[in-house]
Amino acid sequence: MKLNERSVAHYATCDSPTDHAGFLRKRVERHHHHGHHHHTTSYQRRWFVLKGNLLFYFEERESREPVGLVVLEGCTVELCEAAEEFAFSIRFDDAGARAYVLVADGQAAMEAWVKALSRASFDYMRLVVRELEKQLEEACKSLAACRKSPRRSSSSGRKRHLSNPALLPLQEKPTVLENGYSTWGSGGGAIPGGAACPDQDGGHTKPPPLPPRRRLAAGGATGSASPGLSPAMPESPVSPETACFSKLHSWYGQEIAVLRREWQERQKRGHP
Amino acid sequence: TVLKKRLVKLVVNFLFYFRTDEAEPIGALLLEHCRITKEEENVFSISFIEEPERKYCFECDSEQQCQEWIEALKRASYEFMRRSLIFYRNEIQKMTGKDPLEQYGISEEARFQLGTHKQ
Repeated sequence: MKLNERSVAHYATCDSPTDHAGFLRKRVERHHHHGHHHHTTSYQRRWFVLKGNLLFYFEERESREPVGLVVLEGCTVELCEAAEEFAFSIRFDDAGARAYVLVADGQAAMEAWVKALSRASFDYMRLVVRELEKQLEEACKSLAACRKSPRRSSSSGRKRHLSNPALLPLQEKPTVLENGYSTWGSGGGAIPGGAACPDQDGGHTKPPPLPPRRRLAAGGATGSASPGLSPAMPESPVSPETACFSKLHSWYGQEIAVLRREWQERQKRGHP
Repeated sequence: TVLKKRLVKLVVNFLFYFRTDEAEPIGALLLEHCRITKEEENVFSISFIEEPERKYCFECDSEQQCQEWIEALKRASYEFMRRSLIFYRNEIQKMTGKDPLEQYGISEEARFQLGTHKQ
């Protein structure tokens, strides 16, 4: 299966927002080799980077390309009753997909990872965005009701702009938000990789509620149907879309393994 | 260039493509840091930030279908959603004086911050 791996590698290593990162030990999933019995489980230490719904892992922190990619859709993150302490797993609804068992350095690291990964899905982000969209619409309505003179940004086309974020922001000249090429609030110039503003400071938070578990990787669109952000879709135990992702995972791992073997063979033959 | 007929599926921030009679995708495009461009009639292209001259072109059956796909793909990335969220959050905060994420207890989550630095 082809993938735009150069773009993927670029995205994994560029300055776009990283939601979590750190070392984890990843359990090695071995297949049964003829005649060999693997009784011992082994782990490999990898550098993990979470960006959005994508969990990349690298051989080293400074590696320029990930050796693996996990798409966090249609999955459950849970603590593991493994032999290892501070272990957790990522398991997929797709029965054929491999699970990932990861081990953190300590209790705090484990909890932070489980929390970050549990909320990494596209669905979760979309849920929150929709909720805020509604709230903004309500805030605009109640402002208008208070007979405040309408601001430029909330005049003509308000309904349209609320359901079409692509037309925002409106304080600057209307700029279409294209993936990775956008101006955002801070005037002028394309900022590839999203906004680059300083971290907002904040106080302490109460334990956040877990998002509703959604099994379906929603948002399907076919060549003929009308695409776009779909409303809440009915749950389905097995989704063909999640099967696509597990194929992508195994493809990615195999591809890297092949490349590495080829490289090692070239080294042995004395090529530079 | 030869155009091949494909079934194309947008699933979260991935565009999968299939041969029309097959159940398994032959390829996928991760839709982050990409630009969706209207080309000639019925045609749009996807290109990526690190290789802008390399375009993946798609011809649609109609201009309307082409526009629908362009709109859907422009909004398909996680990063687009993140920016939308931050925008809405700011707007609501300005209008109401309150951070809308606080009621859900998620105002401190890294993914909702303006500038999460690479660690």
